[in-house]
Amino acid sequence: MATPKGGNFGKVLEIDLSKQTFKTRPVSDEILQQYIGGRGLGAYYAVTEYKAGKNALDEDAFVFVGPGPLSGTTKKPVWLSIVNDKVEFKDASKMWGKTTDETHEMMVKEMKDPEIRTAVIGPAGENGVPYSCIIVERYRAAARSGTGMVFGDKKLKGFAVRGTKYAVPVADNAKFLAAAKVNKDNNVRREAWEGIKRWGTGGLMELKHYLHGSLIVKNYQTTWFPDVVKIGGEEAARTFWKRHASCTNCPTHCLKLGVIRSGKYAGMVAEGPEYESGGLLGSNLGMTKFDEMIALIEACDAYGLDNISTGGVLAFTTEAVEKGALKPTDLDGLKPKWNDGDTYMEMIRKIAYQEGKAGKLMAKGVRKMSKEIGKGSEAYANHTKGKELAAHDPRGDKIRAYSYTMGTCGGDHHEGQGPQALGMTAMADSLCICSFTNFLVYGAGTDKIITDMLNPLCGWNWKPEDYWTTAKRIFTAERVFNVREGISSKDDRLPIRMYKEKLPAGPRKDVIFTDADQKDMETKTYGFFGWDAKGIPTEATLKAYGLDYLIADVNAAKKKYNL
Amino acid sequence: MEEKKLPDVLKKETSRRDFLRGTATAAGSALAITAIGGIAPKKAEAQYSVQGVPGTPPYAQKYRFAERHNCTGCRSCEFACSLFHTGNVRPALSRIYITKYKDMVDVPVMCWHCDDAPCIAACPTTPKAIQKDAKTNGIVLNEKICLGAKCMKCQEACPAKYIRGNPDTGQPLICDLCGGDPQCVKACQEQSGNPQGPCLMGRPVGIGVNMAYRSVTPEEAGKDLANLLFYPNVEGKRVVPAKSKTKKGR
Repeated sequence: MATPKGGNFGKVLEIDLSKQTFKTRPVSDEILQQYIGGRGLGAYYAVTEYKAGKNALDEDAFVFVGPGPLSGTTKKPVWLSIVNDKVEFKDASKMWGKTTDETHEMMVKEMKDPEIRTAVIGPAGENGVPYSCIIVERYRAAARSGTGMVFGDKKLKGFAVRGTKYAVPVADNAKFLAAAKVNKDNNVRREAWEGIKRWGTGGLMELKHYLHGSLIVKNYQTTWFPDVVKIGGEEAARTFWKRHASCTNCPTHCLKLGVIRSGKYAGMVAEGPEYESGGLLGSNLGMTKFDEMIALIEACDAYGLDNISTGGVLAFTTEAVEKGALKPTDLDGLKPKWNDGDTYMEMIRKIAYQEGKAGKLMAKGVRKMSKEIGKGSEAYANHTKGKELAAHDPRGDKIRAYSYTMGTCGGDHHEGQGPQALGMTAMADSLCICSFTNFLVYGAGTDKIITDMLNPLCGWNWKPEDYWTTAKRIFTAERVFNVREGISSKDDRLPIRMYKEKLPAGPRKDVIFTDADQKDMETKTYGFFGWDAKGIPTEATLKAYGLDYLIADVNAAKKKYNL
Repeated sequence: MEEKKLPDVLKKETSRRDFLRGTATAAGSALAITAIGGIAPKKAEAQYSVQGVPGTPPYAQKYRFAERHNCTGCRSCEFACSLFHTGNVRPALSRIYITKYKDMVDVPVMCWHCDDAPCIAACPTTPKAIQKDAKTNGIVLNEKICLGAKCMKCQEACPAKYIRGNPDTGQPLICDLCGGDPQCVKACQEQSGNPQGPCLMGRPVGIGVNMAYRSVTPEEAGKDLANLLFYPNVEGKRVVPAKSKTKKGR
């Protein structure tokens, strides 16, 4: 087992919450060359440590955070402080029940260090809302797959991290820096990069409305929403945004902070609207009041709720009430209607605490809700594999359907548009590169740019082909994880509305996602990754990627689920 | 309408040659000033040239200025600094750093290169462990003489509350301006753009360097920025529609 030469310390921190112990587990260079880190390493542990049918809420289930797993369950709430080599288990009983921003402030105060970084859950995670998330440094969310709920189940409020002791080893510094410069130059010269610097993703709201025809409006009923000018990037730039902020060492500063100047939320300092938060909690709810939309976004962040899924649930509920499938009596007397910020605020609070009949119903997410309600509501239940769609209508933005349907996590807008992009995103997530900077070098020889950086960093001898093999390996390993649970091409589908209802207005008027589109997408994706017509990785493919150890699992799943 | 008479000087067409001659004269006088001031370094030091200012002779950037409201908190300055001084990226060893004020603003904390240098005055050793390089205005640490963590009189004396300790050796991390070519400034300029201009600037003469900043502490700077940007919420008070619900409360 070779230790890595650079780019990685060759170990992951393993924390057992039941026994409150921690140890480091060595990771060999061979494994890193195959799975890189981040998402890829997470996929590797998920397929090797878990058997099919694993419940994420089991006591020995783990949460994999960037490069290390956390497992176990504590009796009393804890939070972790991780400073250099030391992990401390701290009592979180005073933080339990607090919103994410308050928890963050308490951690910073207790650590007496303004430079610590935090990742915490809010009341939604504690109360087991399946679409709760982890809020990182107050404004950013690690959302979409319900990790907040798993943290909450483990009674883990969050952690604070600070490292001052080590520098990441680099095998060949001079070569690496030269390659990194090429990468940066390639990134910064792109128009899209300039756009994201200026507008964040909020500016896409107008663009998607006027040009692209893929803004989501009122639970995906249309893409035409002239009131977008009241809640979009232009309005934010005029009246709200005050400063641009960025993640560490990123030139893209896509985070926009602003302050509400007047009205009932006067003085509220908040981040947004981003395209997803502004789309899901803005145009998707028919919002026309900027401050109320920002308040909804802030509330979701404070409770630790996924903006996207929450927006999807609120819109679905509103349409269900509109169409008579739900009655105010089912919702504790609430009467949601489009553009009603106050009711939506109350609904968000109820979801976070799973309060009353309404809270318990809405916390289930769109798929389970529509199953429970029935009455034809599945026709407008917009989810893929049980995950609510993001703010890109796949009828107007057809290439986005790849991300929604073929992506590992379902309903996710950020898994890559197109078969190659799916692989590139898997690589970017494994390398822990922001997908914005990754997306923007598409088509510009990303494989070469990345391998040129990786080789001197890690002391490897990769060729650009190896980039693609690794991408396909990671993505296929994740697919096997899904196949073991019975997922196949029958699940790789968009919501019914996308195939049935033509867009009524906007630049893509009368467009529909056809069966031919679906077929084309399946053929291209499955073909690219070497899966069969049902979306199951073939034996030859698994062997080619060095995933031989998963062949038995796939065969068992095929038999069990008749795939 | 009566046609207005243009002044003669505007009527005269400036030829390209004239224009070039004018530029040459201006550049010439700049050179002359430099020569009189005696700050033009020898050829060997040409590596410390002024970046991005075409036509200027190569001489050290003795002053640095932070346009603080432009800071996005990207910390590329920390990366560049630690890379230059230690050969590795390790922001804890950076001689410039970014701190947050109430999660609203990022404040670059850096050496203001005070003319009277209270840190040097406070240094108890003989000869002084920290000294100013007259050519570059950078403060250079002599690691052999410095008493390290048990002393840190320089840290106490720093009016900008800038100096911090090296986590390995305990000795102060002080800015030497990279010998006249501050890497943080370059990194900041590379990162900046649309619409945010660079936060850090280096200048050879010091015009444009606001000396009033020299005794501003990070906390005060944070307050200033919050005041400038986030009216009416200048205190950083949380106005959140979401409320915590503790078990006792309900």
